[in-house]
Amino acid sequence: MTVFKTFLKILNKNKFIIILYTVFLIGFGGFNMQTSDNSTNFVASKPDIMIVNYDEEKGITKDLIKYITDNSNIIELNNNEEAINDGLFYRDVNYVIYIPENYGKDFMDGKNPEIKIKSTGDYQSSFAEMLLSRYIKVANIYQKSIDNEDELISKINETLSKESEVEITSKLDTDGLAKATFYYNFASYSILACLVYVICLILSSFKDIKIQKRTIISSTNYRKLNRQLLLSNSLFSIILWGVYVALSFVLIGDVMFSNQGIIYLINSFIFTMCATTIALFIGNLVSNKNAINGIVNVIALGSSFLCGAFVPVEWLPDGVLKIAHILPSYYYISSNESLKTLEVFNLETMQPIITNMIVILGFSIIFIILTNIVSKRKQKIG
Amino acid sequence: MFIHNFKYSLKTLFRNKALIFWTFAFPIILGTFFNMAFSNIESSEKLDIINIAIIKNDDFNNNEIFKTAFEELSDKNNDDRLFETRYTTEEEAKKLLEDEEIVGYMKLVNDEPKLTFTTSGINETIFKYVSEEIAQTSNIIKNLSEEEIKKEMIAGNYNIDYESIYNNVIELTEEDDVRLNNVSNSNLGYTMIEFYTLIAMACLYGGILGAVAINQNLANMTNQGKRVSVSPTSKGKIILSSVLASYITQLVGVALLFLYTIFVLKVDYGNKLGLDIALAMAGSLAGLSLGVAVATTIKSNDNVKTGIIIAITMLGCFLSGMMGITMKYIIDKNIPIINKLNPASMITDGFYSLYYYDTLDRYIFDIGSLLIFAFVLIAISYISLRRQKYDSI
Repeated sequence: MTVFKTFLKILNKNKFIIILYTVFLIGFGGFNMQTSDNSTNFVASKPDIMIVNYDEEKGITKDLIKYITDNSNIIELNNNEEAINDGLFYRDVNYVIYIPENYGKDFMDGKNPEIKIKSTGDYQSSFAEMLLSRYIKVANIYQKSIDNEDELISKINETLSKESEVEITSKLDTDGLAKATFYYNFASYSILACLVYVICLILSSFKDIKIQKRTIISSTNYRKLNRQLLLSNSLFSIILWGVYVALSFVLIGDVMFSNQGIIYLINSFIFTMCATTIALFIGNLVSNKNAINGIVNVIALGSSFLCGAFVPVEWLPDGVLKIAHILPSYYYISSNESLKTLEVFNLETMQPIITNMIVILGFSIIFIILTNIVSKRKQKIG
Repeated sequence: MFIHNFKYSLKTLFRNKALIFWTFAFPIILGTFFNMAFSNIESSEKLDIINIAIIKNDDFNNNEIFKTAFEELSDKNNDDRLFETRYTTEEEAKKLLEDEEIVGYMKLVNDEPKLTFTTSGINETIFKYVSEEIAQTSNIIKNLSEEEIKKEMIAGNYNIDYESIYNNVIELTEEDDVRLNNVSNSNLGYTMIEFYTLIAMACLYGGILGAVAINQNLANMTNQGKRVSVSPTSKGKIILSSVLASYITQLVGVALLFLYTIFVLKVDYGNKLGLDIALAMAGSLAGLSLGVAVATTIKSNDNVKTGIIIAITMLGCFLSGMMGITMKYIIDKNIPIINKLNPASMITDGFYSLYYYDTLDRYIFDIGSLLIFAFVLIAISYISLRRQKYDSI
């Protein structure tokens, strides 16, 4: 009990760090968590467009604006160039359309007036440009044979209203699953950082030369001490995992009660175990308290950046992903990613996930062996 | 004495391993991670070739407009290529969709496109939109041909050349006369902000060096400080030389980071490098003044002071977009006063304005704010340091 009490004392002193990582997880994992309609109907993506109209809003100009408005999210920014440029840079708006003065009149006169645009160059803006070009093209074609503005507009709208029929095959709650995957991917950072920090700190406190000398001459058997330390550390890991899982139920909701939810739990549990063995290994390796903070940051941030805990895996360069194969986080995150599209649960579809779990367990065993080698070497003290 | 203390301050700072790790190595390591994680984001946001399938039934084979349109859009030599198209049977297409080889497939039923996707998304939306566009073009051709034929008939001409009317109309629809003029700034790489916040972080972390150097001269902090204060040397000389030593150490760190980001990580700072360097120096001065102010005004031990500087730096970097680039924009747009007071944001915004804008007004505002920030904090430190005397300690 003495060991456990000391453990709790040190933990209590460092509760701030644990709270900090948990706040990170809630802040970022819960970011972008607004629920959207989970319908099995097709929902068209809409680019963010801003329209700066210098023309009178009537006739063809009005109809153009209406067409763009119907097919996009209209963004209202202050109409000064700096606000618009900032908006483009930070992707608040993907595409800006400047309708020039007298556009409607010039258009009806067949002058085909030029339109200035600003674009971010990503796919949203490409789509926005498709919308704008489409309207102008159709309008240009009809304008050559129709002089009456109202007739022209109704012809344009008749043509543009033709829609394709769409069928959606997946019944998955893709929105919810994406959120859950993002949350659990991010949790790998919080779990790893928190466990390594706390466990290293506790081990190094016990390894302080004066304290170690005292524990060695005490009546407590060193085996018992080590066992109690291991137990308290594992207990801490399990409680931390439990808290994060409980948080995920609150933040994500429904998805966690499905089959996928169970696998998220199992997967994160195995990862937590692996992170504990990593922490024990580092804790045995490092005894300088000042160094712990640096080591935690490098290891936790490094493996999280490389394996895709912060940035979606599909955006990482191939070279980085190759390096990531040597880290346990990679296998944990890759399981989470494959859960996003898993619809049928049987041994065949689950195989990659099971393989990943075995790999993570393999890592844990390697770290346990390494820990034993290191602690054996460090047994002697001066 | 000035030179003597300066020399030894430099030596003690450079020999403090933990300090050098946080101010020199950590920003470089973090920058390497940023580079690994973010180097692909922008290119993966460009519109890629979309993999699709089309069901090769009689409807499709007989529909010239759809056939030529998709051939053109999947042509490898076409600059505006959108699709990689496979022509398959319905079963094959279903299998491909299940294996996520394609985003969706199209089937023509009575010349109307019918699309099947697994989920909604931007690629799906574009596929749908293009199929509609082609159907709309057919609709235009039909409308215009009918119109022309009607005109001919009204004119009393019953010997109509359908072929040439049809061809004329098609020609009309193929004319590409949409006139758009792209006037956006060319430098739009928003991940650069991450690296700018990194420089900001390095500049402000330098404050820790300042705090440590000052602590060595404070009688209530260290034994060395006690000895220094009973020595007959003027306090101004001692403080000034220590501060100068830490400023130089700090500049070495920032310079290393600069070189690393330019030559290894290929960060784009725009083309006004001299102004960038001036900004980094002003930023370091702000960081230094923050460190000195914390060290002189707060009466607590080394760890607390360092903790406060780190906390201020991280909060500042968070607000200027280090943990999510949009954060800076949200703050700038809604509560601009916060980032006008935040040194990390002044530094980040200065680099941003050099990179993105051609004019210098914003840069001058940023560098001016940094200097004012530094001046105010130095004044505070000066007031709290002067006439500090102890009868006993």
